[in-house]
Amino acid sequence: MGKKLIIILGFVVAILAVILAVTPLSNLAVIPIIVAFVCGLLIVFMSKKDNTKTKSIQYIFLLVIIALALTIYKSVYYTSEVGDTEQLEQRDEENLEDSKELLEDIDIDEDL
Amino acid sequence: MKKYFFVFTLFCGLYSFAQNETIAFGEKLVFSASYNMSGILTDIAEVKMETSKVKTSKSILMRLKCSAATYKKWDNFFKIRDLYESYVNPKTLTPYLYKRDISEGGYYKFMQYKYNHKTKLVKSLKRKKRKDGSTWDENKNVKINASTKDIVSTLYYIRSLDIHKASPGDQQNFTVLFDNEETTITLKYIGKEKISTNIGSKECYKLAISIKGSDVLKGTNSNLLWLTADKNKIPVYAKFKIPVGNGELKIKSATGLKY
Repeated sequence: MGKKLIIILGFVVAILAVILAVTPLSNLAVIPIIVAFVCGLLIVFMSKKDNTKTKSIQYIFLLVIIALALTIYKSVYYTSEVGDTEQLEQRDEENLEDSKELLEDIDIDEDL
Repeated sequence: MKKYFFVFTLFCGLYSFAQNETIAFGEKLVFSASYNMSGILTDIAEVKMETSKVKTSKSILMRLKCSAATYKKWDNFFKIRDLYESYVNPKTLTPYLYKRDISEGGYYKFMQYKYNHKTKLVKSLKRKKRKDGSTWDENKNVKINASTKDIVSTLYYIRSLDIHKASPGDQQNFTVLFDNEETTITLKYIGKEKISTNIGSKECYKLAISIKGSDVLKGTNSNLLWLTADKNKIPVYAKFKIPVGNGELKIKSATGLKY
């Protein structure tokens, strides 16, 4: 019973790790990677005790390795830089021109 | 006589209170916004705060511009390109025109407030995009208080305050017009603290922000702002507790400062 629960938990967490590793939140994948790895180890020990072979260990470790590789790759090669801002700059200029027209008829009250 | 002297000094104090001695034309502050979950930081966007001079045939105004753009890795998931601007009186930081032009993951919204301080009215314009790309406008007149500002000019106005005269525990309320509604923001001075930033180790004023009647910011004293304790009062670090974790805003560079 306990073993089954750990296998399910390990799978769910390992899949979560892979999903997180694919998204830009790859840094957060570290937590489920550790949890899945620990689950994997527990299953290994339990299997050794019962002298049974469990295939799920391989799958969990495979998922952990994929997630870990993605996370490491991303943290090494991805730098924080801003993408294209052309559209933003264009809107900025349009707004400035439009604002100048709108402000043309405004009198600034020095006291305010 | 003593009483008159007191009133006189009070007025002088109030007058100097309302003067902008902090923010110069051509100032540029760059921040990096990140999301913090259990100590793991993820960079999200770059935020810029810039000031510039705008000349009309009658007067000179200061343009306060805040822009936010997500980093490249986010653009395919949730692309943010926001622009907030306010045109203010350079001496008192009173706003005359405010614009909010936001584009967040396919959602577009444009808000414009044109202030009339004599009649205490704001002409508000809201523009949204339909799914087919066409836009629709909504015009409204909003009644405001004498001290109501928009979010951008409030941010800059906070910097122009005489924080060195405040003692820990002092509070001040600000009325901010956001989404056609007046909201009260309370700022509490907590004390001085030395923190290390990308522009060096700085002695800072630590301020706590809270919004009345809103649950966007969680907790008391957990939404904090650090302003350098010098004449420039640069916002170097900010921390926000939102329903899904913590947000952080860290300074990357500061140029064009007055002092």
